[in-house]
Amino acid sequence: MTQQDKRNNWRKRAEDTAARKEAAAPLYAKGKEVLAKDTVALLEAVIRPFDIINIEGNNQKQADFLAECLNKVDRAKIHDLHMVQSAVPLPAHLDLFENGIAKKLDFAFGGPQAGRVAKFIANGKIELGAIHTYLELFGRYFLDLTPRVSLVCAYKADRKGNLYTGFNTEDTPAIVEATKFREGIVIAQVNEIVDELPRVDIPGDWVDAVIQSPKPFFIEPLFTRDPALVTDSQILLAMMCLKGIYAEYGVTSMNHGIGFLTSAIELILPTYGLELGLKGKCCTHMILNPHPTMIPAIEEGWVDTIHCFGGELGMEDYVASRPDVFFVGPDGSLRSNRAFAQTAGHYAIDMFIGGTLQIDKYGNSSTATAGRVAGFGGAPNMGCDAKGRRHPTDAWLKCGQELPSLDRDIGNLPRGKRLVVQGVETFGEGRAPVFVDELDAWKLARDADLPIPPVMIYGDDLTHIVTEEGIAYLNRCKDMEARMAAIRAVAGFTDIGLAAKPEETRALREAGIVKTVSDLGINPARANRDLLAAKSMRDLVTWSGGLYNPPARFRNW
Amino acid sequence: MTHWTDLQPRSFLEASARDRAIGLVDEGSFTELAGPFDRVTSPHLALLGDAVAFDDGIVTGVGKIGRTPVFVISQEGRFIGGSVGEIGGAKMVTAIKLAIDFHDDLVAQFDDLDEEEKPLVVISFETGGVRLHEANAGLLAHAEVMDQLQKARGKVPVIALIGSKVGAFGGMGFVAAATDVIIMSEFGRLGLTGPEVIEQEMGKEEFDASDRALVYRTTGGRHKFIMGDANFLVENTVAAFRDQVSALAGLSIEAFEEMRRIGSSAKVKAQLRAVALAAEMQPGDATDVWTRAGNTDAHALIDLPLPEFLATVRRLAV
Repeated sequence: MTQQDKRNNWRKRAEDTAARKEAAAPLYAKGKEVLAKDTVALLEAVIRPFDIINIEGNNQKQADFLAECLNKVDRAKIHDLHMVQSAVPLPAHLDLFENGIAKKLDFAFGGPQAGRVAKFIANGKIELGAIHTYLELFGRYFLDLTPRVSLVCAYKADRKGNLYTGFNTEDTPAIVEATKFREGIVIAQVNEIVDELPRVDIPGDWVDAVIQSPKPFFIEPLFTRDPALVTDSQILLAMMCLKGIYAEYGVTSMNHGIGFLTSAIELILPTYGLELGLKGKCCTHMILNPHPTMIPAIEEGWVDTIHCFGGELGMEDYVASRPDVFFVGPDGSLRSNRAFAQTAGHYAIDMFIGGTLQIDKYGNSSTATAGRVAGFGGAPNMGCDAKGRRHPTDAWLKCGQELPSLDRDIGNLPRGKRLVVQGVETFGEGRAPVFVDELDAWKLARDADLPIPPVMIYGDDLTHIVTEEGIAYLNRCKDMEARMAAIRAVAGFTDIGLAAKPEETRALREAGIVKTVSDLGINPARANRDLLAAKSMRDLVTWSGGLYNPPARFRNW
Repeated sequence: MTHWTDLQPRSFLEASARDRAIGLVDEGSFTELAGPFDRVTSPHLALLGDAVAFDDGIVTGVGKIGRTPVFVISQEGRFIGGSVGEIGGAKMVTAIKLAIDFHDDLVAQFDDLDEEEKPLVVISFETGGVRLHEANAGLLAHAEVMDQLQKARGKVPVIALIGSKVGAFGGMGFVAAATDVIIMSEFGRLGLTGPEVIEQEMGKEEFDASDRALVYRTTGGRHKFIMGDANFLVENTVAAFRDQVSALAGLSIEAFEEMRRIGSSAKVKAQLRAVALAAEMQPGDATDVWTRAGNTDAHALIDLPLPEFLATVRRLAV
């Protein structure tokens, strides 16, 4: 082989792509439009066995029509696909493995299909690559898991292939950039093909085909929490968080997890938060989906900016009407972007606060349960101390200064630490203890043959645990023994909590490592729903001046 | 226990049966009858090994609003969905009976009574109807309550309040319909067959019970007010319900009779005209009927703030 021959081989990917597009050429209707009825034929033309394929979908929007069409291809022609995608929440995503069309899976979030994922791994239908965080998986799109063909979704397209992803831009830019700039093929399902787009989110020359799907793409209002379901106990935890953590550290930037505790916190900012004098001092910069429960705090002027991973159904008009706060484009609608929001969530914010299903005696926490490979989504990107962070803030520095063990590793240099807070009731769903001797993730790893137990937040990243018993300031513990004692002290009547020794707990309280409700100076009698700035979905609509339009399933009027 | 003054602005939707009972009458005037300390519990649940409640999920008692004696019945949705069984039914029956007897005693003793000195009954509904665990005893209880409503008619006005989480469905939907006046909030729901049962029997295409907006558009306070099934639509606070009851106290029994939706040949004819209208219109959605009632932008009524809704809405005339 001559030098010249070698040089010709540098264009193998481009030639392969050209051949595939050639096969698809007869299927185009007008411009880049392919009719819905020709979708299966299009997929058969451009996909080859063993391809790395991405179907866009995360915990919110879904390229559902393309996922269903991929299930209808001739499996004699297309098989052993390697799926790389943020999430597998639709039955169609797993049907691909059942039908023998796909074989290998790299993903971040299992959602409602988590049980099937575990079963398929165990019976060999899925060959699991790895479970990632969103940002980690996006990173691998640009490393060793670049999609050959990506099936994405957008609200609108024109016939040149320009896409408007708007409010729910989410993962699309990351997927399309990785795919297209390595000679891959991008196919988009859109709700509507129009002559003129409100704005261009994805340029048309990065898109190979657009298909108007028979139905608008599915979208899950995952971050909508009905204030009517917030309990007094969650309000108590929320009060403890505000007084014992937000106020204590002066946390200005953060991400709030998805659970009811953080909804409760959001809903008492304008009441209890105001009383604590936190307005303007806390929660000024947030990385957050447009949580409806944030509306009262936003209206009361608490928040400077919010950047969003994704959109939230029903919040379109409200967000568009608050462009000082949200990242709104020149056309007037929000552009969410999961990759950038996760980057900010990983490096820039001072605190992550959320819930979990289980915390072990060392402080490792996981949402994995036996029989369900749920994955992590984005939580671990934010629920960890970003080791590459270099800019200081007061909250970050204070949290780091409290570490008694800092000098062990870096001598006399000052360094901060991300606050990573888990707020849980000691007994969770179905009265199952949250504090456990061993995480169910271990059993899952054994059953599904995973190389490591799937852990959401590792103990060395976790700085605070809040339960109805009190707050454990784990960042103030000098060693593992002290950490375990602090965890026992707030673990209530779980087996872990019952092992707490009263004299040990007393010493921890005196040292300020554990603070009970009364240590924090909180009157538990005040922890009731009267403290919520909004008590119902209807109240949220009223707070928004009628701009919030809740999905039908959340309306009780 | 929450102070009476703090109860007034509280969400009626969220208030417990006891808080509603206490808050609806004047401060400090409520006396509970057959309360939890009497521990009159369901023998049927005990037999099944199920948990019982010391009040069987129904609060009964007496208080006053101004000069009017008010007998209160208040159902608790958090105990077995507010279902009515033998004991709860007997408590309802007895409360109404006490009101009638009290009325008769008063009238016999005093010939110069003002209307506002005569007793009335208030029932705060939160129930799906019969407690299935108690089968025939529960059904019988419903019949006995109906019987008492007939006995009270023309003497003691009975006012239904519907604005709690469970709504008023099943057999208790019939009972509510048989009262003299119905006061609802926009979060109240009134019907016979509950949404889930309709879906189960008729299919998701006919009625999607997970579509809460549809459920409320079809059974909720706004719709019932437009249809004339509810007489009054009030804000979702204990005080707003109390104020409406207070405004009704002292009206003549003829005025209450006038507010009934059923119970005379004229009312039956009106109901029949409504049925004929439904057959003629074949409405696909509640908003079709709202449009027919003269609301040009029926869809806008769904989200309109309540004061504006009340100021602009046209109610169906049949």
